[in-house]
Amino acid sequence: MSQTGDVLVVVLATLLCVAWYLSYSASRLDRLHARVEGALSALDAQLVRRAEATLELANSGELDPSSSLILASAASESLERHTEHLIDDDPLDGQSFGGREPVESDLSEALSLALSEPVVASLKDHDGVAAAALDRIEAAGVRVQLARRFHNNAVKDVQRVRRKRSVRWFRLAGYAVLPTTVEFDDELPATLRD
Amino acid sequence: MKIGMVCPYSFDVPGGVQFHVRDLAEHFIAAGHHVSVLAPADDDTPLPPYVVSSGRAVPVRYNGSVARLAFGPVTSARVNRWVDDGDFDVIHLHEPVTPSVSILALWAASAPVVATFHTSNLRSRAMQAAYPLLRPSLEKILGRIAVSEDARRTVTSHLGGDAVVIPNGVNTDVFARAATRPDWVGTRDAPTIGFLGRIDEPRKGLPVLAAAMPAILAARPGTRLLVAGPGDVEAARARLDPATRAATTFLGMVSDAEKASMLASVSAYAAPHTGGESFGIVLVEAMAAGAPIVASDLPAFVRVLGDPPAGVTFRSEDAEDLARVMLSVIGSPAEQARLRTAGRIRAVDFDWSTVARDILAVYETVIYAARVAREDLAAESRRPRLFRPLGRSDT
Repeated sequence: MSQTGDVLVVVLATLLCVAWYLSYSASRLDRLHARVEGALSALDAQLVRRAEATLELANSGELDPSSSLILASAASESLERHTEHLIDDDPLDGQSFGGREPVESDLSEALSLALSEPVVASLKDHDGVAAAALDRIEAAGVRVQLARRFHNNAVKDVQRVRRKRSVRWFRLAGYAVLPTTVEFDDELPATLRD
Repeated sequence: MKIGMVCPYSFDVPGGVQFHVRDLAEHFIAAGHHVSVLAPADDDTPLPPYVVSSGRAVPVRYNGSVARLAFGPVTSARVNRWVDDGDFDVIHLHEPVTPSVSILALWAASAPVVATFHTSNLRSRAMQAAYPLLRPSLEKILGRIAVSEDARRTVTSHLGGDAVVIPNGVNTDVFARAATRPDWVGTRDAPTIGFLGRIDEPRKGLPVLAAAMPAILAARPGTRLLVAGPGDVEAARARLDPATRAATTFLGMVSDAEKASMLASVSAYAAPHTGGESFGIVLVEAMAAGAPIVASDLPAFVRVLGDPPAGVTFRSEDAEDLARVMLSVIGSPAEQARLRTAGRIRAVDFDWSTVARDILAVYETVIYAARVAREDLAAESRRPRLFRPLGRSDT
């Protein structure tokens, strides 16, 4: 009789442990997903700031018209794609970059091409609207690099936990889509970092 | 901003991480932020007002050397209290995988966490054994910083993922303001070469420089070598050949002010290190003081000098190459002037003002991300995802 009791206690204890572990894993995963979303929205915010500052630089009238056009087109493309992304209902629960990588790479490239050493020097000497815009492009550009790396770290943590057998067998991730890293060229123009 | 900083190593003894934490904290305080530093220290160790002691540290053998660390329930309770009372906007941990207060604070933290990795020789055995235990708390780190490329590689290979590199800061203005000393200033006929570092530690490269000296003296007989650093002078002198011995002045251990003056005065500063340098802070100091640099081509040195390099390099451990490169610098005042200017400009990248600005950008980024994540977790809409019935197909 007492033997059945013992078995019952052991079974119950095991079940409790399993239940605790599963709920712990589920909330850990939930926190990790939230971390990815937070990191992505930080990246998004800095990309918007970078594009806005670029647009301001392009419209400052202190650059030659063709550089201005190149920058304005790359920056407005980035801003447009950003709004599109917000309006669309987001099937990936805020965890997708929506294929904007090429657009952001293009903006980085346009900035590197337009902001050559003599151009930056003359804008800084003039110390007008364009110089202020340059400072903001630099500040946002640095934060884009940080935010993208922090986001990718968060993504890798989610991916690692979701590979675990217990998470897959018990479907602890529910319906959340597996987030992916965001890869684009976020190199700052060398002339800005002085 | 309310910043909580945690240093795992005891403030009783000096060390690179302690200095880093102290300088960074003082820089942020001067900029108007509120900073509290938590670190182990003895009760009778005098501490700056912004440091809170987590209690005594005990010497422990860890990761191949003896470090003064703090752990145990009493320390743990003090760490928890510091975290709760601090109400920080961000908590910045240094060396988070050291078994000391950093990891305790990581465990207790509810504010966004930033971590700086200093070491480039993490032992994987200790890490791997404790992995399952450490993993979930390491996931709380929202922003990782490495102080060098080597430290970053260590993070990447042991923890996975990536880290942003923000170098150690140097108070470059101390060096930039240094006055020259007439008897150390080199001239065209009597150029001076400076060397800094322990004279009996071969890794600092004095033997390489000594081997290069005969060729240098043959081409420029008036050259003088100034050697500053602790160690057995008599033994070092005995190892030199007679001509080099006559041209060499041993200054012994010098003060920081003398070191800065020496760097500001010499025709060239030689950094013939043969290895073991993961950062090369000494080059930053030399550049800030305006010393024309002749350094071995260690990866860390090449990175510190930047691109285009603000100093000239020679093949590490190659005395012949050192002599050739050194002669091209001490024989040309124009080259010296060029290197002085390039070095001063490059040094600004490592000044605390630059470094602290970058670290503040990390704080802002993680604080923003953490706020969104928190709102997201609090939102009702997320909950159903976890409790939807099993077995339904994904949409």
